[in-house]
Amino acid sequence: MTGHLISVARPRIAAMALGVAAAAWAAAPLLGSGWPGLALAVAGCCVAAGSLRLALQDVPELEEAYFASAPERAVRAALVIVRLLSWEEIGCVALLWLEVMHPARPWHTAVLGALLVAWLLTVHIAESGTRAAGLLRRQAKIVAAGACLLALGAAGAFLPGATSGAGAALHVLAAIAVIAAAVLVLPG
Amino acid sequence: MAIPNEPGGQLASAASPVSRRDVEVRWRLSRHARRLLTLALAAMLLAVLNRRPELAGLAAPALLLLGVGGAGAGWAARQRPPRAVLVAVRPSDRRLFEGEPAWIDLAVELPGEPGGGYDARWAFHPGRGIEPASATAVTAAVARFEFTAPRWGRRQAGMAELVLHDRWHLTGGQVSVTLPALDCYPRPGVQQETVVLSRLPNRLGEHPARVPGEGAEFAGVREYVPGDRQRQINWPASTRRGRLMVNTFAAERSQDVVLLVDATTDVGQPGSSALDMGLRGAAAAARAYLSRRDRVGVITYQWGGARWLAPSLGRRQVYKIIDTMLHADATWDRGASFRRLPRAALPPGSLVVAFSPLLDQRFVEALRDMRERGFSLIVVDVLNVTPPRRWSDAWSATDRIARRIWAMDQHAIRFALRELGVPVVHWDGVAPLDLPLAPYTRRALLSHGGATPRAPRGMPDEKPSISGMQS
Repeated sequence: MTGHLISVARPRIAAMALGVAAAAWAAAPLLGSGWPGLALAVAGCCVAAGSLRLALQDVPELEEAYFASAPERAVRAALVIVRLLSWEEIGCVALLWLEVMHPARPWHTAVLGALLVAWLLTVHIAESGTRAAGLLRRQAKIVAAGACLLALGAAGAFLPGATSGAGAALHVLAAIAVIAAAVLVLPG
Repeated sequence: MAIPNEPGGQLASAASPVSRRDVEVRWRLSRHARRLLTLALAAMLLAVLNRRPELAGLAAPALLLLGVGGAGAGWAARQRPPRAVLVAVRPSDRRLFEGEPAWIDLAVELPGEPGGGYDARWAFHPGRGIEPASATAVTAAVARFEFTAPRWGRRQAGMAELVLHDRWHLTGGQVSVTLPALDCYPRPGVQQETVVLSRLPNRLGEHPARVPGEGAEFAGVREYVPGDRQRQINWPASTRRGRLMVNTFAAERSQDVVLLVDATTDVGQPGSSALDMGLRGAAAAARAYLSRRDRVGVITYQWGGARWLAPSLGRRQVYKIIDTMLHADATWDRGASFRRLPRAALPPGSLVVAFSPLLDQRFVEALRDMRERGFSLIVVDVLNVTPPRRWSDAWSATDRIARRIWAMDQHAIRFALRELGVPVVHWDGVAPLDLPLAPYTRRALLSHGGATPRAPRGMPDEKPSISGMQS
């Protein structure tokens, strides 16, 4: 029983840790209040709510709320709210928004990308109960290719003229083209 | 299903059959795919808007997973997702007792290769009144979910949800399976001894009657008359008397027992309420009398009418009786009219064992009426609670007086029944029923004449009013 609990809790804790790490990584250095503060707050809330959803995943919903006491109704409402939205999607958008508000820092962004993908994979493993080793083994090549492209995108940002004007747009176009080519070339 | 409190008893029920059915699969993009798509689109949009190529690179892993996975799973069309899957459901038993552990086995068979290249995950959503006793989600094609039903009643086991993921976990197929209904029987109390009437019908059984017959219990000796069996000659008595004497034996008879369960009022905590105890006591009594070869029937009386089962013999009758009692509820339910109960439901001369909290005046009147018509009655009082004490009036004189009046009223009801010759015994639901019934199981209960099959007074046909319930 204890082994089962540990195996269930491990990916959930890992997902929470990765979410916190991604939020902290995107927030550093702190830009103060205003829009960055709002983005950070939204991201933090999403990470917390997503972690709570995973933690309460096995709690069954109360079928009958009519005869339930006030605390039971409150718990039921909280469960419904936590399960209503896709917190991870909102969190990803908020973290990207927060990252954009920082000045360009390609390697930092690349690490954030790796953290976000790891977070999403871990959340999926935690909520689906899939064996992490089997899933990652099957997707290892794709993830590795994605990491290479991530590094390539970060490196491309250091090229001269990559930060402003038409050169920047061309760099983005080139990055998208490389990704599209990789998607088409890699075997399924 | 083993019968609780029964020595060495295993139910004669067959193992539950496996139910197999094709269930439609609803395929859609998985949550994982939707998240990756959101990440990729947001990153791409921000890359274009802000002209920052590193953000396009950030979208690369998600896009690769989506693109390559999508090509591998769908576009290449190497294997089409199945439209339906074969699901097998097998409960451990359709009938169980309160608190008895039970389980349901679930299995999915996918077309093609074993496993079909899909990851299956079962989730169990227990129905009302079902408490899971194991993990409620299992990642495998075959799953077993254990549960218990803490309280009697007809229960839906719940729903099982199956999620199938393809190799890349980008599409998910959802299957919902309605689990079968289960009959949860009240856990019978303990009763070994039985109350036996002094006058028994002329039917072969196991109770020694007061008339001579072919039984095994010695009754006395008498003078030999032609036609007596030689083996019955009592040689020591014949030697003493100087003439042939023969042994006589008591006849062995059976009796009709009707269990009367009062379901009009249910007071107390769920699980130990008056109705719970009434049903448990009735189940125990049914087993005890049927094991003595008596014919046992049941009448449950509730708002809206009565349900009855004619007295009969045999082990199956226990389950028929409990099935009948499962309909008992402290709510209104249309049933047979108590006035028009046929003679078969309440045979004349039968022993009536009533389980009641004696809170409904109509039920008390009916008991009184049955007694006056000559039925031999014994009442098992299952009232174990007192009116709740309100905090605001905890120490007020009004509250104390009201409680005293209520207690005196209850005492008067029981006293009046005893004065009529109806024994009233109190059962707390914990001790064996033999303890309160002990004074009546040691000797035969005096029968009171033959009953006329007339409908009892005090049992109205129509739905009773609220005021009629308050005694």
